[in-house]
Amino acid sequence: MSRLQTDSELEAYLDEALTPGEMSEIESAMRDEPEVAQRLMAIISRRDAGMHTVGEIWRRHRVSCPTRAQLGSHLLNAASKEEVDYIKFHLEEVGCRLCAANLKDLERQQAETEATVATRREKYFQSSAGYLGSDNKE
Amino acid sequence: MAASSETDRLLIQRIRGGDSDAWGDLISKYEGRLLAFVESRLTNRAASEDIVQEAFIGFLNSLPNFDGRRSLESYLFSICAYKLTDHLRREGRRPSIPLSASSDSSGQWQLPGNARAASSIARSGERRQLEENSIVEALQDQVTRWRERGDWTKLKCTELLFVRGWANKDVATKLDITEQQVANFKFDFIARMRTIIRRLGLSEEVFPEIYEE
Repeated sequence: MSRLQTDSELEAYLDEALTPGEMSEIESAMRDEPEVAQRLMAIISRRDAGMHTVGEIWRRHRVSCPTRAQLGSHLLNAASKEEVDYIKFHLEEVGCRLCAANLKDLERQQAETEATVATRREKYFQSSAGYLGSDNKE
Repeated sequence: MAASSETDRLLIQRIRGGDSDAWGDLISKYEGRLLAFVESRLTNRAASEDIVQEAFIGFLNSLPNFDGRRSLESYLFSICAYKLTDHLRREGRRPSIPLSASSDSSGQWQLPGNARAASSIARSGERRQLEENSIVEALQDQVTRWRERGDWTKLKCTELLFVRGWANKDVATKLDITEQQVANFKFDFIARMRTIIRRLGLSEEVFPEIYEE
């Protein structure tokens, strides 16, 4: 039996906002423990009824997320001790997936070749540009 | 984090006008972080790129409904999360949650200590948005104040209590403070939230955790 997830963690699961490990843990728990699915249903019902929770609002609006510039400073070892300490806490203890993605992207920018990135961006552009509004298309 | 930067607002304005250069700029600015987000779950580069691609198309399709005051980055992440969830369901990795109500009443959400059913206080989406925005503003003010004062422990404590939903004793252990300190921080935070909710004339019923005894 897996550890008991908090309601806040289950809310985050519904928003695909937990760390990959925690997401897999809940998916596994859903298969083995019917009460996990029931708790998720209860959260969905509560959301449908328009109830708020502080955690949900906090996470959705990224109330305490460091900025990308702060994450960049952290990578360059240019952030203050307090900022570094908080960023680590936010990534490791809170498990903010969006900040982790930003940090990963910043790390990759130093490693990926320009050609690789350009090819990928071109692919995205070519596959989507046809959906641009047609009023002033260039 | 700021809701939406001026740069992003201008970018959106140009994209709404059909400017393909602006669209290319948006892709360049955001694709890397979206790919990192998806790839952390899939560990398959080609499939991850396909999902990001679908997310960009989804963004353009939803652009007429996009509220420019909202954070563009958060909006793109939410589309990506939706596409990723869909992909994981199709692959059988993410179990579906049954939508039918359970016969077991524990599966239904109720106001704590109150016989009134949640559905009886359902209200308009606009009202809900207004409530949410008011709380966001209050939370942002609070977090800014903690940061300026160097109250990092209060910030971490509140985040673990409300964002992670941890119990007081677990928070105390993690932050190496006493349970009494955690209880005090929690009490102060809840008191402040209640004051704001009352001052803004918002309904107490829709913030159940703030009014739990």
